[in-house]
This record gives sequence, C-alpha cells and structure tokens, in this order.
Amino acid sequence: MKRIISLTINGRKAEDAISDNTLLIDYLRDQKHLTGAKKGCDGGECGACTVLINGAARPACITLAATCDGAEIETIEGQARGGRLTALQRAFHENLGTQCGFCTPGMILSAEALLRHNPDPDDAEIRTALGSNLCRCTGYTKIIASVKVAAEEMRS
Amino acid sequence: MTTPRTNTAAGSRAPLIDGIEKVTGQAIYTADMETEDCLIGRVLRSPVSHGRIVSIDVSKAAALPGVVGIVTGDDCALTYGVIPIAMNEYPMARDKVRYRGEPVAAVAAINADIAAQALDLIELNIEKLPANYEPSDSRRPDAAQLHDDKPGNLEREVHHHFGDMAAGWAEADLIREGTFRGAETNHAQLEPHAALAEYDPERERLTLHSVSQVPFYVHLMLARCMEMDSSRIRVVKPFVGGGFGARTETLNFELICGLLARKCGGKVMMRLSREETFVTHRGRPDTEVRLKIGLTKTGKITAVECEVTMSGGAYAGYGLVSILYAGALLQGIYDIPNVKYDGYRVYTNHPPCGAMRGHGTVDVRHGFESLLDRMARELGVDPFAVRRANLLQAPMFTLNGLMVNSYGLGECLDKVEAASGWAERRGKLPPGRGLGMACSHYVSGAAKPVHWTGEPHAVVAMKLDFDGSVTVLTGASDIGQGSTTIVAIAAAEILGIDMGRVRVVTNDSAITPKDNGSYSSRVTFMVGNAAIEAAKALRVKLINAAAKKLEANPEDIECEGETFYVRGGSQSVLAFQDVVFAALAEEGTITVKGTFTTPIEAQGGKHRGGAVGSTMGFSYAAQVVEIEVDTDTGQIRIEKVWAALDCGYAINRLAVEGQIEGSVWMGMGQGMSEETRYVDGLPAHASFLDYRFPTIVESPDIEVHIVESIDPLGPFGAKEAGEGALSGFPPALVNAVADAIGMEVDFLPLTPDRVMEELIKMRRKARRKEVSA
Amino acid sequence: MSEPLPDFRLLRPETLDQALAALAEPGAKPMAGGTDLVVNLRRGLVDAPILVDLSGIAGFATIELSDDGLTIGAGVTLAALAADVGVAARYQAIHDAAEVIAGPGHRAAATVGGNLCLDTRCLYYNQSHWWRKSNDFCLKYRGDTCHVAPKGNRCRAAFSGDLAPALMVFDAIAEIAGPDGRRSLPLAEMYHEDGADYLTLAPGEIVVSVRLPATTANSAYDKIRVRGAVDFPLAGVAIACRDAEGGARSLRLAVTGTNSMPLTIEIADLPAGGDVDQFCADLEKAVQKAVSPQRTTTIQPHYRRLAASALARRLARRLL
Repeated sequence: MKRIISLTINGRKAEDAISDNTLLIDYLRDQKHLTGAKKGCDGGECGACTVLINGAARPACITLAATCDGAEIETIEGQARGGRLTALQRAFHENLGTQCGFCTPGMILSAEALLRHNPDPDDAEIRTALGSNLCRCTGYTKIIASVKVAAEEMRS
Repeated sequence: MTTPRTNTAAGSRAPLIDGIEKVTGQAIYTADMETEDCLIGRVLRSPVSHGRIVSIDVSKAAALPGVVGIVTGDDCALTYGVIPIAMNEYPMARDKVRYRGEPVAAVAAINADIAAQALDLIELNIEKLPANYEPSDSRRPDAAQLHDDKPGNLEREVHHHFGDMAAGWAEADLIREGTFRGAETNHAQLEPHAALAEYDPERERLTLHSVSQVPFYVHLMLARCMEMDSSRIRVVKPFVGGGFGARTETLNFELICGLLARKCGGKVMMRLSREETFVTHRGRPDTEVRLKIGLTKTGKITAVECEVTMSGGAYAGYGLVSILYAGALLQGIYDIPNVKYDGYRVYTNHPPCGAMRGHGTVDVRHGFESLLDRMARELGVDPFAVRRANLLQAPMFTLNGLMVNSYGLGECLDKVEAASGWAERRGKLPPGRGLGMACSHYVSGAAKPVHWTGEPHAVVAMKLDFDGSVTVLTGASDIGQGSTTIVAIAAAEILGIDMGRVRVVTNDSAITPKDNGSYSSRVTFMVGNAAIEAAKALRVKLINAAAKKLEANPEDIECEGETFYVRGGSQSVLAFQDVVFAALAEEGTITVKGTFTTPIEAQGGKHRGGAVGSTMGFSYAAQVVEIEVDTDTGQIRIEKVWAALDCGYAINRLAVEGQIEGSVWMGMGQGMSEETRYVDGLPAHASFLDYRFPTIVESPDIEVHIVESIDPLGPFGAKEAGEGALSGFPPALVNAVADAIGMEVDFLPLTPDRVMEELIKMRRKARRKEVSA
Repeated sequence: MSEPLPDFRLLRPETLDQALAALAEPGAKPMAGGTDLVVNLRRGLVDAPILVDLSGIAGFATIELSDDGLTIGAGVTLAALAADVGVAARYQAIHDAAEVIAGPGHRAAATVGGNLCLDTRCLYYNQSHWWRKSNDFCLKYRGDTCHVAPKGNRCRAAFSGDLAPALMVFDAIAEIAGPDGRRSLPLAEMYHEDGADYLTLAPGEIVVSVRLPATTANSAYDKIRVRGAVDFPLAGVAIACRDAEGGARSLRLAVTGTNSMPLTIEIADLPAGGDVDQFCADLEKAVQKAVSPQRTTTIQPHYRRLAASALARRLARRLL
C-alpha cells in the first residue's frame, strides 16, 4: 500500500508517497537523503537512528513513517543553522563527545530533547535521558561532559 | 628520533579535525553512500556448523525477475587471509562449511525485497558432519577434523622457554597456580559492516568502498581472489564507525561484494545486518589461561609458567598472532627472570576469531594480575607494593628480546594510588564495597609488519602549493581514534603553522600513499613519525627559500607562528605566504614525503615467533576500580575508576584521554557483561540486546591521569594510548571483588548469575567450615 | 542487511469504533507504540496483512486520578505515565516500573496497552529468519518443537512486561473492547501460562484502559537486568503493602519475567507483632516455589528464580 504523508522535516514541509511498511529511518535516508540518522542494529537497540518526533527523541528504525503523518521531525542535519553549530554540537566537537561519530547524531538529538525541558541536568538525569543511545568508543565520560558544557552554554 | 617541540600544536587539546562532519551528520559512512543506481547484495549463510557441500542450486533464484547476479564458492577458488602463511578461508565456502553463518552464496538484485526472496530460493544440500564447539571437543582423538592439513584441529602451538625454570621455582617462597577463563567477546563497533563495489567491465577496473581498518590488505586480497592486477583496483575508506580490530583483516563480504559487482558488471551495495556483523566476528577468542607464579617473600617474581588455550573458531585469521602475543606479552611489563609459555590455538566450529583491542593480552593479563594479587594477599604484601617490587629499568631488553626504551609504570602506580585514596580508604569501606587494582601494557605497533616487503612501515606525503595550504596525504585509517588529527598536528607543529592551513586527505589508494592500516596501535608511532619526517622535509625547503630571501644561512632561520626570521639577527620577518611563493619559484608545486622504518633492534628475539610482541615502545597503565557488590542479587556496581597511562607524550591530550576512557570502559564491558554465546553453533548474542555492552546508565566516572615518559623513538616522545589500559580493568575488578566480599573468581565476565553461583558456593563452604569447627 | 518489512496495510483509526471495525478485518493486528512489534516485523515474526495503529484514537491517552481510583488509558505512553506525579505519589510501583522500561527512546513511543500485551520473549524466538530457519523454527512460530523444553507441549517464552505486575498488585481491572462489545476483567485474568498464546483476549479485542481502585498501600517495583537500560527484565517484582485488620500487614505480590505470564503470588498476612525476618524468609521461599524461569535467555534460569525471590524479600522488608 502506498500513501501520501505530509510532515515537517527540519522546518521544511514535505509531502511524499511512501509505502505503509516504510520505516521512518528508510524514508529519511533513502527518500530524503538525510543519512545522519544511522542504522546500528536490527531494531531499537542502539539509538543511532534517534530523531526528534514532535520534540521527543525516538528511534526512527522502529517507527513506521506512516505514523509520522502530520508530525514535526528534526534530524541532525537540521540542527546547525547557517553552518553554525548548536551548543550541543559544539560541545560534542570540542570536548570529544564523539570519536567514530556513528552514535553522535542520535546522542546529540537525545541530549537536545533533554535540554529543552531540563536546562540544568545532573549526571544521573543525563544518564537516564541517554539510556537508549549506545556508544562503543568513548566510555560515555566525555559525552556526559559535553552535555554539561552545552547546558551551561545554553543557560548563559 | 624524538623531535623536540617548539610550537604549540602538539600537546594541546585539539578537537578532531573531522569532528564537525560527525556532529552535523555530514560525515559519510559506507552505508550512507548514494545507492540510487545500485544493486543490493545479500549473502546466503550456512545453516549448519560443519558439513560437506553436496550441491548449491541457484537456478530458481537466478530465474527470479530482478535478480542480476549470483555468486557461489565456484566463483572464487582462491583463499584469503591476513597472515601470508595461514590463508585458509574462501570468500564463500567450497566443499565444506565450518560454521553456522559462513557465506555460501550471494545475490545481487535490483532491490532488497527481491534479494531476500532470491536467498530463500537457493537450494542448499549440505551433508552434516559432527561439529566441535569447545577446544576439548576439537582435541579429542576421534574429533572431526575441520582442516585436512591441521591434524588435531590445532592451528598453531607455541612453546617458549626463557631462563632457568628450576632455579626460578627454587628461589620462590610462595608458588601458586590458577586457571582462568575469559569468554569470547566481540568488538561490537556501532557501525555494521558495509561495502560498495563498482566494477567497470570496459576498463576492467574495480572500485571498493568499505568499512576497513586495513584498506591496503583489502586491496591485496581483492587482487588475489579476483585474480586482478592490483593496478586495476581502487580501495577507498570513507568515515568508519569504529573498528577495535573487527576490520583489521580483509573480510568475506568485501570480497563477495567485489565478486558480485564484477558478475553484474555494475555497482553493488552490501549492508550487513547487526547479526551478520556479529557472525563475521574476528573477536577475542574464548581463552583458558593456566598460570603458575613464584614469588619471594617480598613479592619479587622468580618464575612464571603459563599455558593458554584459545578457541579460535573455524579459520586461521590472526590466530597465530593471537597465540604468540599471549605468550610474548607476559613480558615487557614486569621483571620476570624465568618464563615458560605453551600456547594452543584450536579450531572449533564457530565464527573465526581475530584481533580485538588488546589483542592477545587481555585474558593472560586477567589471570596474571588476579593471581599476583591473591599471592600478595597471602604474603601480606600490598597490591601496589608487589607490583613495585617487579618494575623494569628502561632502557632494557626483556628475556624474549622485547625492547623497552621508556617505562612510566611506576609513575602510573603513584598517580592512581594517590588519586584513589588507596592507602587511606582500602579496608575501611562499608560492607560490600571494595577497591582493586591492576597494571597492563600494550605495543605501539608491531616492529615487523605482517607483509614483509622491505618497504618502510609508513609513508606520508605532503603537498604545498600556490594557495599556501599544506595537504597531507596518508593511508592511515582513522576509525574514530583521531589518527587524521595526529597527522595534522604533526605537520602544524613542525612547520609552525596554524592547523587551519592543513588539510589531510586519507585512504584512497588512487591518491594516498600505502599504509598497512590501523591495528596493533601502530599509527601514532609510525605514521606520526613519518608525518614529522615529511613536515621536516618541507620545512627544509621553506627555510632554504627564506634564507635565500633574507640572505642568511639556513641554519640561522627560525620558523614559528607562520613567520620566518633570522635567529637573533635582523628585524626582517617573512610571512609564511611570502616564503611559500619564494619556495615555489624554485620548483613549482612542492611535494615531499616522510617515512618511518623500525630499527632492527626493535624487531624482537631470534626465536621462532619472536617478531610478535616486538615493538618500538610499550604503553603502560595502572588502574584502581571501586565497586559495590550486591550479595542478594549478584550484581556489581562500578562506582569509579582511576586510570593512569604512560603514552610517552600526549600529542593530543583530548584524544589520549578519550582513548584511555574508551579502553578502560571496554575492559569494563568484558569484565562485567560482554560475551558471545552459541546454541549449537548459532549465535545467541547477535544483537545489542543480547551482546550486552554497557549503556551510559551503569557506566562509571573514569578519572584519567596521563603519564609522559617521553619515548626516545616516539613522535615527540609519544607511544600508543588506545589499548594499554583495557586489559587492566578485568583483573582490577576481580581484585576489587576479593576486597569487597572476600570472594575469588577466575572467570570473565562477572555476570550476576555467575557471581550468584560463586556466592552460593562461598556460603556453602563457610557453612561447612562452621559445622566442622 | 536486515530483512525488509513484509507488506501490510496500515490503518490509522481515530475512534475506538473505527479501530474495532478495522480489527475485525481478517488477519488484522493492533499496533500500539510499535517499539516491540516493529522489531518483530523486521525479524519476520508477524503475519499481519493489516496493522491497526492505535496511537491516534481520541481519548486513548488520558490518565484520570481521583479519590475513587485511577484509570490509565491504553494509549498513555510510558514516558507520560512515568512523569505523572499523581501516579507516583499514590501508586509508586507503577511509577517505578514505567520509568525503567527499556530506554527513554522506547518509552516516548511505547504505551501502557502495548506493554501489557507485549509479546513473550525467548532466545529461540527473538532471532532472524535465517537463525530460526537454521534451527527448524520453534513452537511459538512456524515450528513444532519448543527448544527450551522439547519434551513439553507448550511454548515457554517468557512474559517480560514490567507494568503488568505493578498494576496487578493494585487489583487492576482491564477494560476491554472487542467485536462483541466491552467487558471488564481482572488484569491477572488477561494472561495464561502459554508463551505462544499468553493473552486471553479474543480476536479483535483490545485493551482500552486499566482501572485501579483507590489505595492506601505503599508499593514498589524493582527488577533485575544486566544493564541499567535497554534490557528486558530477567525478573521483576511488584509489591503493595496495606494495613489489614488488627494491625496486621497484607501484601500483594506479582512477578514478571519468570513465566509465560505475569504471576500473582499469594502471601499470608503478617500478623501484628509477627516476626518480620521469618515472614520475609517465608516470602522468599514462596516466590522461589511459584516462579518457573526457563532457558529462554542466556542468563541461567536458577539465577532468575533466586533474583526474583531476593528482590521480593528486599522490597517486602522496605515496605513493611
């Protein structure tokens, strides 16, 4: 079955024909060429595909695109404006919150969702909010540090 | 060879020069490449552990509309492998399959749906053979043989013996033995395997993009297995989402993708699932370590005997290196006067093992540091003291010919002892809490390369052109560890220029110089030194040009901060761009190169296998782990880790910290929860739900201390930083458990069910003691 | 690469009646947050020509808390449930359970109804098509042998939802709607001990809400898993503790992760002045006796039994 969905992606309206069984991750990567969201696992286990759906950080690899009709989607590609990094992107870059980079888009978007409703999270709150996002490189130490640096930057 | 630093690029906290791409989603990994005009490749895998292939009928699959090409073992009769003398694997099985998941055929179709349907239409007829899953099964006299040329299913046995064992035991006041077991682990790099192959039948050329850590080896194996002239092959490595050793040899899907592309005369994208990525494996083998150590009353080591058995999986891979490393790296960390080592790398019907971060050392270090701690307890010697009693004095050569030029282990011990409050806190923690410590080390690259060609170990090229930018060309594979940034720092440091002036072009065999690849922590040491040499060559040209312009002797020219001037002399200062123009006027676009070759004395002892373990310099690490054991549920919580690592010199402090944190944490995963499990050869771990590497929630704070022993041969004095700290964690954890609850465990990982089982045994034993008393 | 999703039609009803009509179509299956179902679809474990997305049904996602009790709509997300301060104040166990299910990304989409109906799990079932085919499939799906207990005649897959026990200790009532209208049934009766057929719901029936009476009980939920997030529970225990007549204490206890259904375990009251140590020791034994974990994960069944009972003892001690 094909259907048309209308949604907003990174602030832009989009209207596309998709199959009922199209996953959001495949729609974004194959149809919209937004490859920032990654496939790291066979379904819902690693968080590398995390995008914001109506502001909530959710794995795109276990979300049917058809259920996002009318939704507002934000991906990593839409974060920087005019080529300038967001506070989180800058903090991850400057504090080595990213090594291989594969978990990074999802990690930053989960952190973004956290900071929007909790501008001053403590370590435990950061850990809880990033619990769906696996990283194999950093040991998470510098990820937590990056989120804290960004939070401080955003508060000031 | 250590070049003193004069500028400020080296030793700073430099963000990765390719980091912006990673935080903005612009970094393109292999699976992200455009696939609009691609065929989709899929692999059909063996459903049985061991069997004789009777027939593979692809006719129905080939007839399916949309299927463009199918390949099987018949399409490639040549073996591949990373060790020239141990290449015994076909891209797709021929005659026999030896593990569940081994590729037997592959399909390229116009889309993923059709490719999946086609796989189901291939008819496999395999006659099952008995399978061996444990080394003890494989080594039974009547066991089924995996390979005809390897009787007893023994891939390699090693027997090394240094010093006088009898004298060593005679000197000992305490001799103890232990048997330790470490589960098989997998790299679980976050990026699943992928390859994109494009074959041009008109020019008979192949281009392969892949996730490799070793594009050069992939290039060699493509040429071999596809029987192509290597000049007709181009291998490109885009961004890679981690490796940890998973990709340090050519992998079957890379060859299959190439074969499919040629068969179809087009472009084939192959994206493996997480399960397939697990099955491709090459992880750390299930290892049994039998150890015997002799100590004097003061804790001085008098002799060590070690027997290691590795369950290697179905093919050779890096196996002989793994089993040699395990023995060789007993040494190089402590002063051990007498050593006997016996190693057995055994074939089993599981996916092949290979190299994984800390290759060869992790399970031996687990056993060694655990037994050493137990013996120290028995002697009443503090764990720090027993290690201090056995420190080396650099420079020196070990009994087995390993060169140790710099040695910061003593300082590492001091740092973590102080930082953790060891002296004040140990023994005074609340019930269930404990502190444990351990030491570890690792090589900075193998001093002898896998492929001995006589060439330098590393080559870096640099180009300087009219625009005043410096382009560095390197084949070093950045897989997230930051090697591209190291190369840029080396160039900026030597040339005294801003990092913004430097661009690094990497990993395209058509453009960049060959590099052996990212493994055994060789890149910073070897490529770093080559980059320094290249930058120095460029510097000479610039200084000569500046000298000519300033009418001074080249020896008197200083170059720093993008300016050139005469030392102590005239006021005139030349801007970098002016000197570039002057230099270009002489010869046009400037290209230079730098190389690195290991000196002969670094290349190890003369005994058979002596080249493995030999290195330019060892990193050293010490760590303290604080834990809490929940004796009701068997769960262990890691409260905090203090780790110190001697990396010689931290060229990029930020990256060194990141490497130490990452390796300590990976050691924690292997200590706590990571393991592969098989059900009659089928992987019961092939997802991130079942292969439980730690989430952020239970990952502890890791406090890092950097020790700089300034290695005389290292680039700016640097050694490796990314592997050395890993193997210390598991024994530090084991030792912490002993401190916390008095329980001695000799296995990894310490999953709650295993801990509970030990707790029950310990309680039973205590009750029996009570009753008998 | 992972298997492409099977072809299906997705229906997105906006009212309950539309949903029930959609579910009446042959082969139709409900989908809530999809966080588990889509994974199973990707693994080829679901035969459904029609999926009915319940996430858009009006009024399905409300939490109503009053002095009479609590009603939780089936479409409430786990994140919303965990964030509800009223629920946390009066029904602590529910809050405890909701806030530690899977990871935050899942909780943002996963729902109460979905978690209550979560498919049972097994090492021989939650695998790829290639894996299951290589192993001749299993009793739960496409095969005729349960590899966990080959001599038995039923599927041993484990129920792993966290919410069910936390609701059951409050005597939750499931409001169910189906082709034959609506009915209520104690949540505990919505399950039976068969991994392949663990729900007593009739075809076309869905959970609309769960209703809980007002309570004065202290409650808590805790579980064992290897990691602090993502993992399903190896064993989870909920306890609600009320004052009973004559100063006695009455405990309701339910367990998940150990059987093919969530289990309520009957515990005798602790009389006033009773020996708490003895009571907890008895309770621990009762839990060990009641649960029957199988080899459905690589973590040893015996461990899951001991862990469940240890958790129960610890929670009971905390609440008494």
